[in-house]
Amino acid sequence: MSGGVRFNAMFFMPYIHLPENHKEFKSLWVDFSNKYYDPEKGHELYNRYLQELVLADRLGFDAIVINEHHNTVYSMMATPNLIAAAIIPQTRNAKICVWGVPPNFMLPNRLAEEYAILDVMSKGRLEIAFPLGTGMEYWAHSVNPATAREKFKESLKVMLQAWTEDGPTTHYGKYYTYRFLNPWPRPYQRPHPPCYIVGSGTNETIEIAAELGLGYSSVFVTQQRAADLNNKLRERAAHYGHTMRPDQFPLLTYVYVAETQEEADREYSNHLRAFFEDYARAERYIAPPGYLTIEQLKIRAAAADKMHGGFDYDAISKSFFLAVGTPEKVANQIGEWGHRMQTSHFNNVMHVADMPHWKTVKNMTLFAEEVIPRVRGREG
Amino acid sequence: MAQFIREKLVVDGVETVLYTAGKGDPVVVLHGAGTVDGFDFAEPWTEKFRVIVPYHPGWGESADEPLFTESHDYVMHYLELFDQLGLERFNIVGLSFGAYLAAKFASEHAHRLKKLVLIAPYGMAVEGHPMADILALPAETLIPMLVSNFEVLKRRLPEKPDLDFIAARYREATTFARLMWEHPLDSRLPRYLHRVKTPTLVVWGEEDKIIPVQHAEVWKKALPNSELRVFKGAGHLVQLEKPEAVQMIADFLA
Repeated sequence: MSGGVRFNAMFFMPYIHLPENHKEFKSLWVDFSNKYYDPEKGHELYNRYLQELVLADRLGFDAIVINEHHNTVYSMMATPNLIAAAIIPQTRNAKICVWGVPPNFMLPNRLAEEYAILDVMSKGRLEIAFPLGTGMEYWAHSVNPATAREKFKESLKVMLQAWTEDGPTTHYGKYYTYRFLNPWPRPYQRPHPPCYIVGSGTNETIEIAAELGLGYSSVFVTQQRAADLNNKLRERAAHYGHTMRPDQFPLLTYVYVAETQEEADREYSNHLRAFFEDYARAERYIAPPGYLTIEQLKIRAAAADKMHGGFDYDAISKSFFLAVGTPEKVANQIGEWGHRMQTSHFNNVMHVADMPHWKTVKNMTLFAEEVIPRVRGREG
Repeated sequence: MAQFIREKLVVDGVETVLYTAGKGDPVVVLHGAGTVDGFDFAEPWTEKFRVIVPYHPGWGESADEPLFTESHDYVMHYLELFDQLGLERFNIVGLSFGAYLAAKFASEHAHRLKKLVLIAPYGMAVEGHPMADILALPAETLIPMLVSNFEVLKRRLPEKPDLDFIAARYREATTFARLMWEHPLDSRLPRYLHRVKTPTLVVWGEEDKIIPVQHAEVWKKALPNSELRVFKGAGHLVQLEKPEAVQMIADFLA
């Protein structure tokens, strides 16, 4: 790592007003009725969350990360480009990371346009990640999960072609036909904003990132698996003639900082528990038909309840990149991960589940003022 | 009763497993969107017919063919398989999704069919009586819905949760999703079924919870040379629940 260590503030914008009997629902995704969504409360939450996103810029975070989910309390960012458009005029320096819109749920020319608009509006502050979309999202859309990976790959090809070649060009593929691929505007950054693949590390998505030389952010995978995936991507990218940089491996971390360890644990653990137990509880919707290969299905069926909807604090802190405690402890932890994972890029979840505004502001402030300078100071 | 013999053929590059038993007029049995129910119900037919039960690509013991992304690919597959087996004129008995494939095949190649039996065929849009969405329902809800009397199905299910069983069902659902996820109903069916001049028997269980019995009359009307038999006290898998339905089909085919 070098002075180029990078710290993002990541947000999900959950809908936190769960009904009292929410434990009775097997899943808070897909079929959890939107009758439980109160727009008055939603309005207050958007106001609050947008302030928190903007605060990340004021506090000096390098980037603000947002993403997309559907039919769920987990996230109110069904269309994250709207959120990006809302914060661009209110922020100055932070990169705006839409990580991202699953291309399968948009026409690729239109997604290329939306991203270009955001990049031009922000004068080149946009970064993009391409997720396949979780299994849950496929139940919400008229898009076939059994052919999703192939369609995803073609969509990426269309977007990158639109950004790397002067239009109009043509594309005659299996899923898309473009007689005049010529999206206006073009991105501010040339040839296009930095791009990442985001996923849970299937061979297919790793291979796409390797082939295109894109960064990769793994989510909902264990520490060991994340390390294996990074190594695999370095190896596969080299095969295609790409050398991966440390900043191309954003590491997803769950962090909470307080003055003492006891305070940090007390203030954070219930929210983290709610995040894994309730907000991420998606039960059988994780794997619509065809979304996973049979091998992956077997692996995940065996481990599923730990990942979505089960909670064991020790297991979680061993499995995921979780740093909770004093600034010193959290900084040490992040430094250690950086060396182990060979990354200079930390994607830090600043708010989970029903964590109130004051804790979010406290966490962000202590992280920005006490943790970031410590890590940077050591890495020089 | 004759013993079923397992055979593996390569059909246009796709390994296809079929079971054959008996001598006589050929009867091809096309299974539904799942294979849990098995095909032992067809054993009595082997006394008078040569019964041929293929697994569709992507189901049971046949290999996957990811390039098959629409149901018509299966019509082409069977056209090839029937040629390979040297079947000139023959009978088809289709079950549910297999009955849908049989009806599609018949609308294009009726001249090759002697008789056609459709047991609770899949795919018709019937206002007010939607089919159950078998891709959306959880297995624990869907499986009991298949029959009127659960006992006939229960012995074919694992006693405890079984990863291989779950994986096999997921694979078959994957194949089915590849074909039907975006368009589970076939809006073209009513337009082309009039071409099926073949003598056709439509069989339905009155208590079918997957494809409501109200679909039966719609199919009968759409097929110009058809008769309909509805069985009381039977669900979607009539052939498992009603030996008299199995017998009636044999009589119809004779």
